[in-house]
Amino acid sequence: MKQQEFFSSRWALILATIGIAIGTGNIWRFPRIVAQNGGGSFLIPWVVFLLIWSVPLIIAEFAIGKSSRLAPLGAIAKTAGKRFGWMGAFIAFVSTAIMFYYSVVTGWTLRYFIAAVSGDLFNTTDYLSYWEKFSSSSQPIIYHLISMAVVAFVIYRGISKGIESVTKFLVPSLLLILIVLLIRAVTLPNAIEGIKFFFTPDINILMDYKVWLNALTQNAWDTGAGWGLILTYAIYMRQKEDIALNAALIGFGNNSVSIIAGITIFLTVFSLSSVDAMTQISQSGPANTGLTFIYLPGLFAKISSSFLVNAFFASIFFLALFFAATTSLMSMVELSTRTLIDFGLKRRRAITIVAVTGFLLGIPSALSPVFFANQDWVWGVGLILSGAFIAFSIIRYGVDKFRREVINGMGSDVKIGKWYNVVIKYLIPLQVGVLISWWLISSAAWDPEWWNPFHAENAGTCLFQWGIILVTFILLNKFLVRKTLED
Amino acid sequence: MNILTIITTAFVLGIVWGGLIYFLSRAVKYEKLKSSNGEK
Repeated sequence: MKQQEFFSSRWALILATIGIAIGTGNIWRFPRIVAQNGGGSFLIPWVVFLLIWSVPLIIAEFAIGKSSRLAPLGAIAKTAGKRFGWMGAFIAFVSTAIMFYYSVVTGWTLRYFIAAVSGDLFNTTDYLSYWEKFSSSSQPIIYHLISMAVVAFVIYRGISKGIESVTKFLVPSLLLILIVLLIRAVTLPNAIEGIKFFFTPDINILMDYKVWLNALTQNAWDTGAGWGLILTYAIYMRQKEDIALNAALIGFGNNSVSIIAGITIFLTVFSLSSVDAMTQISQSGPANTGLTFIYLPGLFAKISSSFLVNAFFASIFFLALFFAATTSLMSMVELSTRTLIDFGLKRRRAITIVAVTGFLLGIPSALSPVFFANQDWVWGVGLILSGAFIAFSIIRYGVDKFRREVINGMGSDVKIGKWYNVVIKYLIPLQVGVLISWWLISSAAWDPEWWNPFHAENAGTCLFQWGIILVTFILLNKFLVRKTLED
Repeated sequence: MNILTIITTAFVLGIVWGGLIYFLSRAVKYEKLKSSNGEK
């Protein structure tokens, strides 16, 4: 019997799952994308896609995980049929590949937290050089190792003693820190200008299809919907647990945190920036680190004339980022570990394999920004394909049957109506098709050799790496499914 | 602040934060109901 543990309550499940959803994407990526896409003009489509992408897919993941009690490989094989186990394997692989470099990112946040607490962060005014000195040294590997070791220890302890205990502390702490930072930002002089930009729409920008596609992308990347991570935690939800209401709480909770983070960053930048605030927020910088690791530290140094106050706010900001990254990383490590447990391995052995592999395969991303950018691009877009595979498995099962028997089945507090059938059958596949085509076609604009698989960010490298993984899993499908379902 | 800013703020916060508060209150209600029925 593989199933041994459950989350002890609805609130424990929600805290753990919201820990997946709230990651660096909320605090780090969201404000930058809002700035690049016209502030308030971006928020309107972003809310729309919360309703027609994130929440339906979170419902799907909860339902598939709860009904199958297996990690993505087995779960998709059980839901869509044994012939389609390779789709689940792809979902698991994409999240695992992201885990390799996400552990590096978690290490960066830890390093900056330590630098802020020690005051080292304020010994410079050139934060680009500070970042480059750090990222070109061997330090990212050390912090990557620490992050992976800490998370592996949590996952080794299991669901109730590990994930549940840790998220019960980290997630409320993270929310408290964000509220403290929001209050500080609101009380900064001239903060109202940031609010105005954040919420003022420009009708011309709103009509630009790219803003809508960026809003969909943000929802796909920062809610954790379609990654297979929520599906993995749903394995451990009690049979009498609700699906639809919990899924809505995760989606709306995640986007609420994004708004808090967005307002905080916008107010801080507009209030303290001595140069063009918009240019600064929009800057991607190396590996998209511009705003968070290069520009914000300089602003924290200007919050007040007191070194201690500035160090305090910088410390809690990077601590919040570290907490957000850690809870998300935990879910990625658990997904990989659970996949191996489904193959018949004991948790201890599985987590050892995952942690050692994760550390070793994360090293190239820790050393090379180009490799990091390549992996972020390939598997970031790959996640959209993962979302499509989840929707496909429900379509194969029968959407209406799935809705009535699984989502609205035992334990459901609220019943989902027939609108769900339309979203899964038509809207999700449409969004996937448009989004993947747009990203791949767009890459031709920034890389004339769009077909070259050895370039960092283009269509060629995506299709090449996805192709290798997909062909491998299709060939191994029978073996993988047998190992998972029958062992 | 112009009227468009106010409408957008109301739309975004109304749906996202309003939705969160609504779903949270529903979840609390169902949990209370379950505990009053003797469920753990």
